[in-house]
Amino acid sequence: MKIKIKILLLLSACLWMACEDEIDLNLDEGAPLLVVDAWVNDKPEDQVILLWFTQSYFASGDAPRVTGASVTISDNEGTVYTFTERNDGEYVWSPTAETPSFGKINNSFTLNVETNGDLYQASSRMNRVPLVDSVTFTFEEETVFLPDSYIGEFWAKDIEGPGDAYWIRAYKNGELLNLPSDINIAFDAGFSEGDFDGVTFLAPIREGINPQDEDEDGDNLSPYAIGDSVYVEIHSITPEAFDYLNEVSIQTDRPGGFGELFADPLANVSTNVEHVNGENSVVGFFNVAAVNGNGKRLEQ
Amino acid sequence: MLKILSGQKRILLSTFLPLLLATSAFAQQKFTLNGYIKDAANGEALIGATVYITEIQGGTTTNVYGFYSITLPPGDYTLDYRFVGYESQTKRLSLNSNMREDMELRSDSKQLEEIVITDEADDANISSSEMSTNKLDIQTIKKLPAFLGEVDVLKSIQLLPGVSTVGEGAAGFNVRGGNVGQNLVLLDEAPVYNSSHLLGFFSVFNPDAVKDTKLYKGAIPAQFGGRLASLLDVRMKEGNSKRFSASGGIGTVFSRLAVEAPIVKDKSSFILAGRRSYIDVLARPFLDDDASLNFYDLTLKTNYDLNENNRLYLSGYLGRDNFDFDANQGINWGSQTATLRWNHLFNDRLFSNFSAVYSNYDYELAFGDDALDRFSWESHVQNYILKSDLTYFINNANEVNFGAQFIYYKFRPAEALGISNGDAVDISIEEKHNPESAVYLGNKQEVNSQLSLEYGLRFSTFHYFGPGTIYTYDEAPAGERREPASSEVFDSGELVKSFNNLEPRFSFKYQLNTVSAIKGSYNRMVQYIHLISNTTASNPLDVWVPSSNNLDPQLGDQFTLGYFRNFKDNTYEASAEVYYRATQNQVEYIDGADLLLNEFLEGDLLSGDGRAYGLEMYLKKNKGRFNGWVSYTLGRTELQVAGINRGDWYPTRFDQTHNLKLVGFYDLSERVSLSANFTYTTGTPATFPTSGFVVQGILVPHNNDDQRNNVRLPDFHRFDLSLRYDMRRVRRGKERKNKDYLTISLYNVYARRNAFSIYFSQSDERNVINQPWTGAATRLSVIGSIIPAISYNFQF
Repeated sequence: MKIKIKILLLLSACLWMACEDEIDLNLDEGAPLLVVDAWVNDKPEDQVILLWFTQSYFASGDAPRVTGASVTISDNEGTVYTFTERNDGEYVWSPTAETPSFGKINNSFTLNVETNGDLYQASSRMNRVPLVDSVTFTFEEETVFLPDSYIGEFWAKDIEGPGDAYWIRAYKNGELLNLPSDINIAFDAGFSEGDFDGVTFLAPIREGINPQDEDEDGDNLSPYAIGDSVYVEIHSITPEAFDYLNEVSIQTDRPGGFGELFADPLANVSTNVEHVNGENSVVGFFNVAAVNGNGKRLEQ
Repeated sequence: MLKILSGQKRILLSTFLPLLLATSAFAQQKFTLNGYIKDAANGEALIGATVYITEIQGGTTTNVYGFYSITLPPGDYTLDYRFVGYESQTKRLSLNSNMREDMELRSDSKQLEEIVITDEADDANISSSEMSTNKLDIQTIKKLPAFLGEVDVLKSIQLLPGVSTVGEGAAGFNVRGGNVGQNLVLLDEAPVYNSSHLLGFFSVFNPDAVKDTKLYKGAIPAQFGGRLASLLDVRMKEGNSKRFSASGGIGTVFSRLAVEAPIVKDKSSFILAGRRSYIDVLARPFLDDDASLNFYDLTLKTNYDLNENNRLYLSGYLGRDNFDFDANQGINWGSQTATLRWNHLFNDRLFSNFSAVYSNYDYELAFGDDALDRFSWESHVQNYILKSDLTYFINNANEVNFGAQFIYYKFRPAEALGISNGDAVDISIEEKHNPESAVYLGNKQEVNSQLSLEYGLRFSTFHYFGPGTIYTYDEAPAGERREPASSEVFDSGELVKSFNNLEPRFSFKYQLNTVSAIKGSYNRMVQYIHLISNTTASNPLDVWVPSSNNLDPQLGDQFTLGYFRNFKDNTYEASAEVYYRATQNQVEYIDGADLLLNEFLEGDLLSGDGRAYGLEMYLKKNKGRFNGWVSYTLGRTELQVAGINRGDWYPTRFDQTHNLKLVGFYDLSERVSLSANFTYTTGTPATFPTSGFVVQGILVPHNNDDQRNNVRLPDFHRFDLSLRYDMRRVRRGKERKNKDYLTISLYNVYARRNAFSIYFSQSDERNVINQPWTGAATRLSVIGSIIPAISYNFQF
């Protein structure tokens, strides 16, 4: 029930103008670890897996890439999808006429990454995904938190039967909303397993497609304006991926201000990637998603 | 359960009975002198007043109800009734039968202003067997410079040795390495589960209604139990039994009013005190018409002297914080307590108190502004308590305390309903029912003029009864979620799990000479209920959960040793204490733990051990125009939990190596006084990443060694000042009835931006997948500037 806490934080932030300064810090530097960024889906387009190394948190340069690795995904039917290196560290599988999209719902998948003799593996499953019925906009008058605003909302129902997890990803005018504050995940139709099954997604999830952007003065902007479009995708994820994204959200979507009093401790997010023939630490995640989407343009 | 209790009682009695018999044999040729000591001006019982008997070069002190009893051989005696800040009274009498001597002392108004942190006998630091305790009377608390000028009991406690906090503005306090949920905060014997208004900035105790606070950090008597780290005993005023009086004030946050008056003169009185915040009045232009934004509390106490041997007290508290955005949406929380007490004298030497207590803490949230999409959630923890405490004043060398306590807990983590697009889903979590009971027996024994002992035993039990669904959980790798494995439905009254524990308590004082003493103690504490809080500061939505088949009671063993010395005719008192506490079954959390509205919460909890040790030094000057204290603590507090910090010991979030507090009061003139305090502490621990990586465009911090609290925030220091200006007492040659004063305070005088935390976040720009990133560290200062405040206070 993260959302409730956030509201509490928002409220306390209004009450108290705590003071924040960006500071320079010298951090202990950890040795570079392999990062596996493997979120694959059944959209009929190129599927990309990125392999690189961790670097300093404050690094301004490009992270070092893992080149020359062999990357494949195999499923329980024996199909092997080979990812070839297009650019440094960027491994791609492209659809073909026979295989217009990646994978099949209910199949399970194993990711194999081999680099310099080290073999890394992770497994996932492509789960079912509900339809996005529609996308709507509502006009809301100015409040303490927002100016006069157009609020986007998608309408979809969780598929009956508990245990479904989803990642809702939204594109505003074609640009993916991928800030930590844009992370919008659902377990069934709610925030945690088993609470809300088979119903319409809860309002905060339906409205979780609105970017929380500010202007140069730090004032909140209306999420959408006349002429803007939004496209909403529901990605089916595994329960492990839900936990992973939940942890990523806790660690990266910082409340800031007085809300930091109620922040969780900094901790490493989990991973589902294992070093099969050794004990190297590795970070990142592998998930295979089925995707359904729908969009709308806000017109006068 | 009753069977266990009676069995245990028998053991206790058979241990102590020989002692009782032996001592009562001596007592036969002696007589008992007893009575109450009160303030002559308002009839308030004086806690800890001394009765000194010249002939035996010793005496006794009054208990929390102002009662004393002393048993002596027949003869002529000179009695000195003393209380700091009051004029002493001397009385000569011939003791040839049991006698009742009530005494009223008149406050020495000139001296009153000089009272500092003690209202006990001058040499109590040396003569009393108590250690690891600190008293703060309300006069001292009122003089301390306060944040926004609002006098605050809990913030004052933080100026004492051994007390720390995770940072400015955080709710609660940490004692000798205990977490916030390991303090038992009692308001007239009623446990207070959330002692903060406004998420932690102010405490719920109205200073106009508080008489006395006492913090037990160690050497806790057998009478008390239920929490590992400390006991904060807040006693309310009884109300003026002589005449009507009122006091109050207008501050920057609250306005306050308290009235007190006799109901039947010298027999019965009451006090009613209330406070309310102004914030909503100021914020009105920015708020919806139906919005509310306020916090208030109301405190009531009344008492009745039935006769010489029976007194009744009734006290109650009601407080609430309201934050409503509009008519349908918002959050509010608050506590209610009620305490009915009966003081009864069975005979001249057997004093008793029986209490019935009710305490409730609850919160409510509601969101969603139309009927199709609503969310509402209520949660509460309720207590019903019955307790008896008896003191048998055997002779002037032995004082036996015994009693029993029964607490019935009702935990309701969630009564919650979600409506999504018209479909309603009940996501409530079952209520839990838990009785906790305890019996205890202890004795305070003066072995000789040098050595005194206090020893006792507490036997406590805790039961988990149905109705309810009980889960078991699968094993999981350390630090990961344990999934539910099986569930079983228990009927009403069916026993799920029970615990019982023996809690020995022991302390001694060895007086080296008239100015110095050595004291030591050991005690075991057991805590059956747990505050579930994984955030840096505890927040109003934190829930309490009982021990169960999946959660063991917390155990703590503490050893203390101290040296106490007074200087210059008790003008200065000093102490140095070392403590070591080892704790078991400490609650921690998996990463990403889901603590609210989670039926399977126990699967997200981890358990480990804790250790805390340190040295506390305390020097205070009690008398003179310039007085105050210096408190220094050198300490360490660590936890070891499988699954966190690779299973190695790590410091808690409130671990402070050095903790220095300087407090000074200076009377510039009869009407102007200054007070100041300075705080310096080592920065609290924090976790910093060693690297970062991007997943799906989001920059994630990573610590290669999986460390927890691996670095320190910058040191914290702050200087506060306050000036009290008393208005003229005489106008046009006539003394005014009204006594009033202004307080001007400056908080954080040199405007230091102390770090509450440093957090890591990516820049606000959306990362394009496959592109370089930028991460930043931000220092949060809860208070980043000087905060001036003025308040006006009156009394008539």
